[in-house]
Amino acid sequence: MNTALKNIRRSPFQALSAVFIISLTLFVVGIFSLVTFASHIILLNFETKPQIIAYLKDDHTTDQVAGLISNMTTTQGVKNAIYISKQDALEIYKKSVGNDPVLLGTVTDWGIVTADILPASIEITASDPSAFNTIVSILEKSDIVSATPQGKKEIDFPQDVISELTKWTNAIRGAGLILIIALTVVCILTVMIIISMKISGRRTEISTLKLLGAQNIYIIKPYITESLIYGLSGAFFGWTFSYIALLYSTPFLAPRLGGVISFPIPFWVNLFLLIGLLAFGLILSLISSLFAAARFVKRSR
Amino acid sequence: MIDFSHITKSYPNGDIVLDDVNFSVSPGEFVIITGKSGAGKTTLGRLLIRDLLPTKGKIVIDGEDLNQIKPKYIPIIRRKVGFVFQDYKIIPDKTIGENITIALEIGGYNRKKIQEKITELLKMVGIPGKEYLFPGQLSGGEVQRAAIARAIACEPAILFADEPTGNLDKDTSIEIFNLLKKINDDGTTVILATHDVTLIGLNPDRNIHLEKGKIVSDVDGLPAGKEGKPPSTPVIASLVPEPKQPARPAGGSHTTNRKIKSK
Repeated sequence: MNTALKNIRRSPFQALSAVFIISLTLFVVGIFSLVTFASHIILLNFETKPQIIAYLKDDHTTDQVAGLISNMTTTQGVKNAIYISKQDALEIYKKSVGNDPVLLGTVTDWGIVTADILPASIEITASDPSAFNTIVSILEKSDIVSATPQGKKEIDFPQDVISELTKWTNAIRGAGLILIIALTVVCILTVMIIISMKISGRRTEISTLKLLGAQNIYIIKPYITESLIYGLSGAFFGWTFSYIALLYSTPFLAPRLGGVISFPIPFWVNLFLLIGLLAFGLILSLISSLFAAARFVKRSR
Repeated sequence: MIDFSHITKSYPNGDIVLDDVNFSVSPGEFVIITGKSGAGKTTLGRLLIRDLLPTKGKIVIDGEDLNQIKPKYIPIIRRKVGFVFQDYKIIPDKTIGENITIALEIGGYNRKKIQEKITELLKMVGIPGKEYLFPGQLSGGEVQRAAIARAIACEPAILFADEPTGNLDKDTSIEIFNLLKKINDDGTTVILATHDVTLIGLNPDRNIHLEKGKIVSDVDGLPAGKEGKPPSTPVIASLVPEPKQPARPAGGSHTTNRKIKSK
């Protein structure tokens, strides 16, 4: 450890560049991990929420509703279909406004918000977004689904939002993965070159150690330790930067994703991220130093 | 203990450094190997620690054929043979204590034992309390003593000293020789490669003389009671350098020149 620290002190700029490249790589890894985590939660949120809502006429009967639900559940691509009564709709409304007496007392075009002014509905969750069109066409044919004065059935559905979202998140993940791989390769090469330079710079000392009977592991241990120090400090800085970036972007993200992701991000997420980045930094620096050491061992046979 | 059997060492350019060298060294012996520069003394040492492989022949240490041992066992052989280098090979940016620590760590000593051992070794080689000094802060003789301390740190059975007095004055050379003798008296086999005629005259044991890679003599040293006086043998004569210029008469032109320069 002392030799490794001394080596770092002797060439601070090489050490700085190694730590910087690892920090940069792990910062990007950290950011993409958070983006992946967030996109996973957003997708999960979309997938678990009802995707198609058909509003019902006020004069529907229980049998008609049961018939429509039965029809829906037997349709391919439908995960489930549930009936939301007017009272249920009011409860959902209350939940969404957080029992705010001002909002609950809002006077709308139809008067103060009560169960009466909210329509009953059927909420359908699809297991396959490609089934949307079939589901919508069945609902459009149903007599109990209400229609606008222009005769358009009142059916809300996000069309192919989920598939678009999935496509985009996959594209972001793919791009992130490519960037991470490229940065990882650059990082490994940079640290490897730095460690190789350090080993080369102490060739005379190393030859003396070999003549004194030192095993290769004894000779390369300080360089591996040095590389691990780079890896750990780079990981810590990378995590710190991504944490700062997250803190700074919270005021921007919170209003946009507030309903889906709870802000501030819980501490355990950041803790897991730190542990993950430290492990990644260690692996990265270990690979780099082992490559450098392997070249030295090969040359010094 | 050490057996050099028909050792020949040549380099790819065709230079034959050692030519059919045969000798054995028994445990506890003190052997001086003499010869001019390029006679093959250093090559012998490098063969002994398997830094080089012989072109022909066999070297056996404690029953182990150095030609046959696997590369992973070479460090073990090197720990058996302490090596004192002519250029010291003391790491300049480490203190004397740290230099010795390296040898002790390689030998598997623990941290607590290392400190005790360093104190003991430095006292033994005559530079007590210098462990915190850097090589640049010591005289040549002191650095060589430190190098000897490092070489014997792990108590090797054999100590090979390659021209340990090459850069030292006569008095310091004798001190270093006496130190090596003391180490030998403690039971370590010592092989001293030198062209320093002062030392040859001090050895009461055995002298091997090399010329152009061949052993030309392998004889016992001084008769008892003659230590300290170089024997007038052909070996010594061959090592005394021939004057390149005729000797200047005292008070001649040399003195005159110095006077002119000083003005």
